[in-house]
Amino acid sequence: MARAATKTPAKGPSVTFWLWAGGLVALWGIVSPSSLLIISLGMLPALVAYFCDRTEQKYALFCVGGLNFCGVFPFLLKLSDDHSFSAAMNIMSNVFSLAIIFAAAGFGWMMFISIPPVVSSFLTVLAEGRVKTLKVIQKKIVDEWGSSVSSADESAASTAPLTDEPDDGGGAPPTG
Amino acid sequence: MAEQPLEADEVAGEVPPELAEMFEPADAPTQNTPQRSGAGGPVVLKDRYMLDTATPLSEFDSPSAKAYLVEDRRDLGQKLFALICSPEIPTRLTTIRKHKEEQVAGRLDLIDWDVIYWPPLGQRTMAIIFERPMGGRVLHRLARKETKITEYDVPRKLAEPLASILQKMSSAEGPHRAIRPENIFFRDEDMTELIIGENVSSPPGFDQPTIFEPIERAMADPAGRGTGGARDDIFALGVTIGILVLGHNPVAKVKDEDLILARLEQGSYAVIFGNSRIPLPLLEPLRGMLNDDPVARWDYNEISNWLTGQRTNAAKKKPVHKAELPFPFRGKEYTSSRALAQHFAQKIPDAVKAASDGAFEVWLKRSLNQEEMASAVNGLIQNAKFHKDGYQGQDDYVVANLCMILDPAGPIRYKGASFMPDGFGPMAASQILHNDDAQLVGEVLSHDMTSAWFNHQSPAFPGTSELRANFSTLKGFLAIKEIGYGVERVLYEINPSLPCHSPLIANDYVLLIDHILSSLNAAAGSADTNQRPMDRHIAAFIAARFDQDIHPHLKALGSDARDTSIVGLLSLFAFLQWKLREQQLLGLSSWVGGLLGPAINSYHNRITRGDIEKEIPRLVRKGSLPELFDLVDNAERRKEDRDGYAEARAEWLAAEEEVQDIEGAGDERITKAERAGQQAAAVIAIVITLTVVTVLLILQTW
Repeated sequence: MARAATKTPAKGPSVTFWLWAGGLVALWGIVSPSSLLIISLGMLPALVAYFCDRTEQKYALFCVGGLNFCGVFPFLLKLSDDHSFSAAMNIMSNVFSLAIIFAAAGFGWMMFISIPPVVSSFLTVLAEGRVKTLKVIQKKIVDEWGSSVSSADESAASTAPLTDEPDDGGGAPPTG
Repeated sequence: MAEQPLEADEVAGEVPPELAEMFEPADAPTQNTPQRSGAGGPVVLKDRYMLDTATPLSEFDSPSAKAYLVEDRRDLGQKLFALICSPEIPTRLTTIRKHKEEQVAGRLDLIDWDVIYWPPLGQRTMAIIFERPMGGRVLHRLARKETKITEYDVPRKLAEPLASILQKMSSAEGPHRAIRPENIFFRDEDMTELIIGENVSSPPGFDQPTIFEPIERAMADPAGRGTGGARDDIFALGVTIGILVLGHNPVAKVKDEDLILARLEQGSYAVIFGNSRIPLPLLEPLRGMLNDDPVARWDYNEISNWLTGQRTNAAKKKPVHKAELPFPFRGKEYTSSRALAQHFAQKIPDAVKAASDGAFEVWLKRSLNQEEMASAVNGLIQNAKFHKDGYQGQDDYVVANLCMILDPAGPIRYKGASFMPDGFGPMAASQILHNDDAQLVGEVLSHDMTSAWFNHQSPAFPGTSELRANFSTLKGFLAIKEIGYGVERVLYEINPSLPCHSPLIANDYVLLIDHILSSLNAAAGSADTNQRPMDRHIAAFIAARFDQDIHPHLKALGSDARDTSIVGLLSLFAFLQWKLREQQLLGLSSWVGGLLGPAINSYHNRITRGDIEKEIPRLVRKGSLPELFDLVDNAERRKEDRDGYAEARAEWLAAEEEVQDIEGAGDERITKAERAGQQAAAVIAIVITLTVVTVLLILQTW
C-alpha cells in the first residue's frame, strides 16, 4: 500500500497505448478506409470539445461528441450500400452532409451551454426551500429547549443532575 | 452568678441581711402562698399540667429560671411548680431525660418537661415541672429560726442524705454541680427530710457562686466551669455544710476577685473557714472536702468512713508553692505563679512585657525554684519571636500558653474568656450568642488551645482521650466553611441542649429535630418568603441533631449554583419530612414552592417546565415536600430532559451544519450547480445519441 501510494501519478496515456491505438487505426484504415474518413472528419467538433473542456470529467466531450456522433452515424450507415472510399469522399464533400454533421455537433454545444444554468437555478430553488425547512426545524427546537440549545457551549448539554442519585441512606425520599 | 440571671424578686424583709446577700437571687417571700401578678392566663403542658403565668412562686426560683404555680388536671391534690428556663441559657437536656426516667429519692422530683409558649416572655421556652418541696428552702427556714442544724446534726441529718443522693446521681447521670445552701430543701412541712434542688435549668456550675466551686473552676467564667466530677460536688457539699452549720457565709463581703486571689495563695479552706469557729468534729471532714488538690480531696468513700465512724485519712494539705520574694506586676506583688497567671490573663499586653523581661525568668528560677517552668516560659517567648507573624506570636496566644505553664490546673484563659475543657460547650454558646464572638471559639479550636492545655496536665485530666477526640472532630467541622459546618456546627454539636438560634425560628425554642419543620412551617406566615427558609444555624442544627447522613443534601445546598442550592434545600426538607413522618406542611411547602424558579428553569425543556409549574400549586396544597421534591428533581424526568436536550442539540447542530453548507458555500455552490448542469447535459446527450443510433439501426435493418 505504501509503495502504491508513493508511485508517481499517471501523466496520461502511455506509449504502449498510443502504439496500440495507432495499430488499430492503421488496421481500421486498411479494413474500412471509408468509415475512417467519415469518422475522422465528421467527429472533428468532438475533438475540439475535448480540447476546450479543461475539466477532469470532460462533460463537453460527452455532450458535443454524443450529438456529433448522431450527425455522423446516418452517413456511416450509408456506407453499407457502397463501402468505397469515393462514396465516403462524396459524403464528406457534400455541404448538406457536413451541415447535418456540424449542426448536430452545434446542438450538442448548445445543450452544454444552456442546460447548466437551468439546472443551477432549479437546484438553487431547491436549496432555498431546504434552508427554510431547516430554519423552521431549528426554531421549533429552540422554542422547546431554549436558546441554550443553539449555544456553542457544550457544557450546557452535559449539566450534571442537581442532586445525587437517591440511595438508601441520605438520598431523596420516596413520594406518595 | 448566672451570666444573665432572671430578675430576682425583692428580698423578704424577715431574712437576715447577711443571709440575704449571700446568694443570688437572695429572695424568699415568707409564705408559700402564691402571689397573683396578673401577667397572663394559664398555659397547658402536654394536655395535663396547667401552668399559671399569673402566679409566680418566687421561693422556688432558680438563678436562671423563674418558678410558677402548676396544677395537675388528673391529680388536683399534687403540689407542683414549673421552672421556666431562660431561652438564652442552655439547659441540661440529657440530665433532664435521665432524671425523668429514673426518679431517685432525695432530690426534687422532676415530673415532666416540655417546650411551651410562655406569654410573659413572648416566646417559646422550656418548662420543667417539679414536685413542690413543702418544707421550703433549708436556708430560709434557718434564717427564720424555724429550725437549727447543730454540729451534732450534721453527719446524720445533713451530710449523710446529701452525700448519699449525690453519690447515686454521680454514678447514674453525672455530677450535680449545683450544690449550695440555697438549693437544699425540706421535702415535708415537718422539716424531717432534706432533698437536693434542681440542677437542670442551666449548664453545670453556671449558677454557682464562686465559693462553691473548686479553685480551678471558680477561676473560669460561669459558662465555662465545666461538667466536672464527683469531687467537685464534694467540694460544694463541704462549703454548704460549713455555711449551714455556721449559719452565715464567712466571706460574703469579700469580692470574688479577692477571694480567688486569697484562695490561690492560702488555700480554699483557710480562706473560707480559716477565721470561723468550725466545730471540732467537722474540722477534718471540711478540710478533706475542701482540699484544693482534686486527687487528695475526699471522695464518697472517705465521707462514708467519716459518717460510719471509721478511720479517715487526715487531709493532706498540699502547701501552696510560694516564692521567696514577690514578683511585682501592675502595682501588686505576687508570690504564687497561679495567682500571677490569673492576673496575667486580665492584662495581656503587660503580661507579655513582663514575661519577656529576663527578670521574670530569674524570679521563676531563683525565687520560685521552678527551673522547668522558667525554661518553658523562655521557650514560649522564643517561639513567639520566631513566629511573630503567625498566631503563635500573638499576645493572646502567648499569654494563654503562659498561663497554662504558670497554672496548669487552672482554666484555659484566652482573649479574656476562661473555661475548663469540659465547659467548652456552654462557653462557646455564651461567646457566640451573647458576645457575638465566634472568632474566639474558632481560634480556640484551630490553635489547638485545648490540646496544649491537656499536655500540661499531670496527672491527666479525667476523660482526656475522649475530650481530645471530641475536639479533633470539632476542629474538622470548623475547617469546613460550607453551610452545615463551621462554627455553627461546632456550637450545636457540643451543646446538645441548645435550641436553634436561627433568626427565623429563634422565638420557637426548637430544641429537638422533630420540631424544626413545624416551626419553619409556622414561620412561613410571618417571614419574608422571598428569603430562603434556611441559614447557617438551621443547616448546622439539622446536621448536628439529625441521625441520618445528610451530607449529599448539604453539598447540594452549599452549591454556588442557585438551582442546585434550592433543590438541595428542598431535598433536605423533604428527607426530614419523610423520616420524621411529619404531616402536612402547607406553609413551608408554599414557601419553598415559591422559591423553586431556578430549579424549574434548570430543566431545558420548556414544556416540562410548564408542566412542573402547573403541578406545583396542587402539591403545595397537599403540604408534601417529598412529592414536591419528586416533581422538581425526579431522576427519570431529569434524565429524559438531559437526553432529550442532547438529542435536540445534535439535531439543531445538524440542521445548522446543513444550512451553513447550503448558504455558506457561495461560488462553490454555483460551481457545483454548473457541474451538475453539465453532467445533466452530458447524460441527456448520451441518451439522445443512444436513442438516435438505436432508431437508425432499427430503420436500417427493416
